[in-house]
Amino acid sequence: MRNPFARRRKYEALDDRELIELAKEDRQAFGLLYERYLPKIYSYVYHRTGNIHDAEDLTAKVFQRALGHIGSYVDKGLPFQAWLYRIAHNLVANWHRDQGRRKIIALDDYVAHSLRSEAPDRLTEENQEREQLMEAVRRLPEDRQQLLLLKFIEQMSNAQIGLIMGRTEGAVKSLYHRTLSALREDLGSQQEDDAVGRLGGGL
Amino acid sequence: MTASSDSQAQDMLEAITVGIQAGDEIENVSRQTGASSAGMQGYAEIIQALQSILTPMEPRREFARQLHADLLDQQQGVVERMRQMPARVQIAAILALIAGCLLFLTRRLFGSETSPEIQEEVVASPL
Repeated sequence: MRNPFARRRKYEALDDRELIELAKEDRQAFGLLYERYLPKIYSYVYHRTGNIHDAEDLTAKVFQRALGHIGSYVDKGLPFQAWLYRIAHNLVANWHRDQGRRKIIALDDYVAHSLRSEAPDRLTEENQEREQLMEAVRRLPEDRQQLLLLKFIEQMSNAQIGLIMGRTEGAVKSLYHRTLSALREDLGSQQEDDAVGRLGGGL
Repeated sequence: MTASSDSQAQDMLEAITVGIQAGDEIENVSRQTGASSAGMQGYAEIIQALQSILTPMEPRREFARQLHADLLDQQQGVVERMRQMPARVQIAAILALIAGCLLFLTRRLFGSETSPEIQEEVVASPL
């Protein structure tokens, strides 16, 4: 089919599996896959890197790598997005290694994004709490951060997360429990530190 | 914590998360799941806070458009790109190319004939 517009209309009706097969020969089919998954991959990478510049750079690399390897993609029964998330996860992990530092989260972006509609007088206290929570999330090991992002941003079930992380559903459930416990402990110790700091300052 | 209580806690956290993600109030979720009586209120608050900070981020439109173009145009020659265009555009491009070639040839032919005259005119014209 020569007309790209007619071809696009035809492709839009196809599921991922069919599109992947076509994408091995036709870039326009890959373009459709790109459109379907760009927001998810970008969102994931953004939260893992914490800034727009690196998020865009790494997102571009994810899709370039996917395009480069789509010809040898073998359907093993996993959803296509699991493959993309794994590429993204590996690239982000390499990025963190290369940076040799903990990631910088653009807190201003978080605040602007999540608190846009709230009353100004509530902002300071709530921002502090959210900032503390974000910092605690950033201190978590990579796999736990990945779990939280997939669960809260992508709203995935434990079974779906398991497919991406290469774990069983039960293992994901257990990891989630341990992750929340670690966060609770971390936040609790932070509050204790703050209280001690305030007492120390008052003396 | 025993294995069974661990499992109960995991199930409860799942139920709390599902409730909060569905948009229920934290008090309702805690009551319905029994979180408040089981000492899991702190978890429910963390889950709600996570729900409010971990939100989807949209890529910039310009970035999305540019990357799309880069991916689709990568390693693709002019001929391949032309083939993907509608027939009308292909015909118009070919006609424009032929017209361009004709114009170029005409200019060269007439240009070489007229150039000595122009030079003479330039030389003859008073300052």
